[in-house]
Amino acid sequence: MRDISLIIRRVWKSAFMFTALSVLIVSATQAQDVVEGRKIFKDKCSSCHQLDRNSTGPALTAKMNELDEAFTIKWVRNWKALVDAGDKQAIEAAKFSPSEMTTFPTLTDDQIKNVIAYAKAGEPKKEGDAAATTATADTGVSDFSIAGIVAIILISIAVLVVLGRAIKMLERLILQKRGVVLTEEDNVSLVVGVRRLFKNKKFVFFFILCLVVSLGSFGWMGMWNTGVHTGYQPVQPIKFSHELHAGTNQIDCQYCHSGAFKSKNASIPSVNVCMNCHKSVQATEKYNGEISPEIQKIYTAIGYDPATLTYDKSKEKPVEWIRVHNLPDFAYFNHSQHVVVGEEAIRKQKGLQPNEPVCFACHGPVNTMEEVYQFSPLTMKWCINCHKDAEISGKDNAFYTKVIEAHEKIKKGEKITPALLGGLECGKCHY
Amino acid sequence: MKGSISAMNKNKVVLASFCILASAVVFSACKDPQSTGLEYARNMYDPIAYNPDQPNKNFKNGATAQTPPANTTPVGFNKYDDYPNTKEGYEAAGANLKNPLPETEQNLIAGKHYFTVFCSPCHGEKGDGQGHLVKIDKVSGIPSYHGDAASSRGGLMKDLTAGKIYHTIEYGLNNMGSHASQLSPDERWKVVMYVQQLQKIQ
Repeated sequence: MRDISLIIRRVWKSAFMFTALSVLIVSATQAQDVVEGRKIFKDKCSSCHQLDRNSTGPALTAKMNELDEAFTIKWVRNWKALVDAGDKQAIEAAKFSPSEMTTFPTLTDDQIKNVIAYAKAGEPKKEGDAAATTATADTGVSDFSIAGIVAIILISIAVLVVLGRAIKMLERLILQKRGVVLTEEDNVSLVVGVRRLFKNKKFVFFFILCLVVSLGSFGWMGMWNTGVHTGYQPVQPIKFSHELHAGTNQIDCQYCHSGAFKSKNASIPSVNVCMNCHKSVQATEKYNGEISPEIQKIYTAIGYDPATLTYDKSKEKPVEWIRVHNLPDFAYFNHSQHVVVGEEAIRKQKGLQPNEPVCFACHGPVNTMEEVYQFSPLTMKWCINCHKDAEISGKDNAFYTKVIEAHEKIKKGEKITPALLGGLECGKCHY
Repeated sequence: MKGSISAMNKNKVVLASFCILASAVVFSACKDPQSTGLEYARNMYDPIAYNPDQPNKNFKNGATAQTPPANTTPVGFNKYDDYPNTKEGYEAAGANLKNPLPETEQNLIAGKHYFTVFCSPCHGEKGDGQGHLVKIDKVSGIPSYHGDAASSRGGLMKDLTAGKIYHTIEYGLNNMGSHASQLSPDERWKVVMYVQQLQKIQ
């Protein structure tokens, strides 16, 4: 009997171990499948497919739950062969879009199965999300500390006032005990007190002096800063963050402001430039699977329907950005002249790092600006000071080689025309 | 009596000016970032003509910046043979279009510059599909220009002809948008020239 129970116990133990191990292994391999599948998906599929929504290709999670695994494997390898063979399911599936799917004959069965596993499991939750929320809580501290300091100051003023009153009361009590008769001068109203103060000639003189000095300096500062918009930070119709795009994502300034290198204006990008990325980037992970409301504003402006992936020209509505840098109409400024011709001189003058774009010289650290503000005063003095000090290097600079050429011709007494000096530029007269 | 009245008036004047000063200091102390501050002779600042970024009620869509009329070409803008944004157009462009620019060092330097600005955020500095945006997981599925990466329109990426690359820059493909508004035709050809150098990487 005893043997039997021992055997049963052993068998049970080993069976338990086996199942536990196999469960562990299976779950581990499944996790491995998903991770592996995600890698292949990101590498080969995601330029056309999203998990949760249609893009160039259909939404994969729903599609994978619907389709049979064997068919999917055949389809991915060579869907064209399936269609040619007259497979009804394949012909139906090929109707999704006029753009043809890439065939992947080199993918193995296991690799395709991994992708299917990933598509069915969906995107794993990131650990970074929790950290992000605590990080946002941290940024609130500075506001709290300012409020705290203000509260402490207010409380201490209140305490001082109360203590002052208490001292007065005590003094009165002492005087009363000593039998001194109090005149009710303390009850004189504030207005009468101020009037009495203003009868004092010394005080009036001092007051007028203060008034003249403060009004004078206030007026002086006011006049100096008239028309200077430093720090101007209007609220824009779309909460576009330069900190995210130029900072975190390291997109070059010129990608959007492509005019800065070839024209007078730096140019505000038209919405189609936003769509180059935001056709696929929708920040849904931050808005519970919904499209970010700010990205939705881009779609509204260009008349794009993210559900059907179609544009409707009649629904276009230009975004009314608010200009931050307003140069007066009587001042001419050309971006390309500074950004291309003067780049080296400006870099040297403003001490820019090699990895910083030349734009930072005047626009400040745009890659740290959540909302853009005017960094430089853009006054005449500010322009002139830089033009006095910046050192131009004519070496290897196409603009100055032309100037030097013209000078050489003048020296030699050759014929020189305004056209040679850029006199045929339309903008010289029609600006 | 008369003296005391004038003294009273004087006091009132002083008191009033004190109040004005105090309020002026209070209001000027908090600078509103949404305001441009004091301005003098605003009409000298405002343009008489319309700036490209201004609203304009003379146009139907209310914007000054309008798209050029159909079938017009801006001065100094080289328009190359137009192929439609279809599979046939793509194949035809691949067969017929040749890079009209000579392969000089200057063109390649310019091409590298435009490639770095407009393409490398996704395609990577070397065209390996590992740009910064791919590395930080913002976009994915960018094919490499070299190796055995397949083009979604058939063939290997490293075998794409100049015309096909030009067509893709002009119209975009899948998640890639059209870059025609950011790159002029000549600039696109310079990018094509540089991309063809990257295709040769082993």
